[in-house]
Amino acid sequence: MSGDANGLTVDLEAALDRTHIGEVGVPAGPELLAFTNAVELGQGDIDTTRAALAEAIGEEATLEAAAIIAIFNGLVRVADGTGIQLDGGVFTASVDEREQLDINRFAGAANSAGVVAGERDTSAVADLFG
Amino acid sequence: MFRATGAPLWTSAQRASHSIAPVEGDRGVVIDSLAITEIVDAQRTVGEEIVGPGDWLTGRERVAAWREVRSSRTDRLDQERRQALTPNAVSGRHEATAELSAAATEVVHRVASDPGRLTRAWADEQIAELDEETYTELVGVTAIVSVLDRFDGAMGRAERRLPEPIHGEPARVRPDDVGDVGAWVSQSTGPTKANVSRTLSLVPQTNLLWRRLVDTHYSRGAEFMNLQWDFPLSRPQAELVAARSTALNECFY
Repeated sequence: MSGDANGLTVDLEAALDRTHIGEVGVPAGPELLAFTNAVELGQGDIDTTRAALAEAIGEEATLEAAAIIAIFNGLVRVADGTGIQLDGGVFTASVDEREQLDINRFAGAANSAGVVAGERDTSAVADLFG
Repeated sequence: MFRATGAPLWTSAQRASHSIAPVEGDRGVVIDSLAITEIVDAQRTVGEEIVGPGDWLTGRERVAAWREVRSSRTDRLDQERRQALTPNAVSGRHEATAELSAAATEVVHRVASDPGRLTRAWADEQIAELDEETYTELVGVTAIVSVLDRFDGAMGRAERRLPEPIHGEPARVRPDDVGDVGAWVSQSTGPTKANVSRTLSLVPQTNLLWRRLVDTHYSRGAEFMNLQWDFPLSRPQAELVAARSTALNECFY
């Protein structure tokens, strides 16, 4: 994440803990997580959490949060539906983080047991969506 | 009404050249930052074009897929599969509809309702019946309309009416530069792109719509390199929402 570049110490474990609605080291983190969980899980009222978020960060940023939740609903479907593998560089570079954050337990991990063969330059972050 | 601030605003030249109107947000707030108007404009145009002829599907078939995505939220078989330890423990399969074959209906429902537990064996079975291009387009259409509907739900808006299909023939063009890069379907073989950027490269018409949504809703083109970007949500806030959404959807990638 970009916490370091913005002078923040982000609690990644709490960010990925689906039950955690609270501080993670990001401004308005509790409101962002409450809204995301309400939209994704129906955990809490969407209108109430959206209003609280708008109070904290404004209408524009709230709309953008909704857009990011929405697009990731699509991203997980194209990723899982087409069976893409983690890119080789990411797979090997994230061994410790995946273990620490318990990401390997995700259902989709069963489809990414190995590194994709072939050369791919994944050093440029922009290429993830380039 | 007042104008929200905190993000780059349209210049008059930009507005004139793009003809994008300001957006009215909750409580009558007028939003006219470039980032937000691009999101709303992308949703409008993609929502219009997704019901037209695509790569291998007709507009009628795409509208039918959208309808099935919506029905998956309450469909009994989908709910039983989601609650089961493994979806294979639940017998039954989705029936064909007037527009979609049984395999096509199955793909839409599974991708819409339980994407994290799809397997290669399941995908191979559907591809054997549909062909990989049609399978990939169904995945893409399901993803695209899921984005549109999820956004509306998040913003407390009523579900948009399903548009009438646009008539015409699908393009039916398989790109030359696709092959086996380790995914379940053929994808572009270019050496510099990460896997997530080529998921729908087998179906270029559908991919165009998909990429427009991704670019406006999250990646922001070259701005993705900027860890301190100047958008309504700060980069750490955007990544927090992205990380939690991904975790809740159990997406390993």
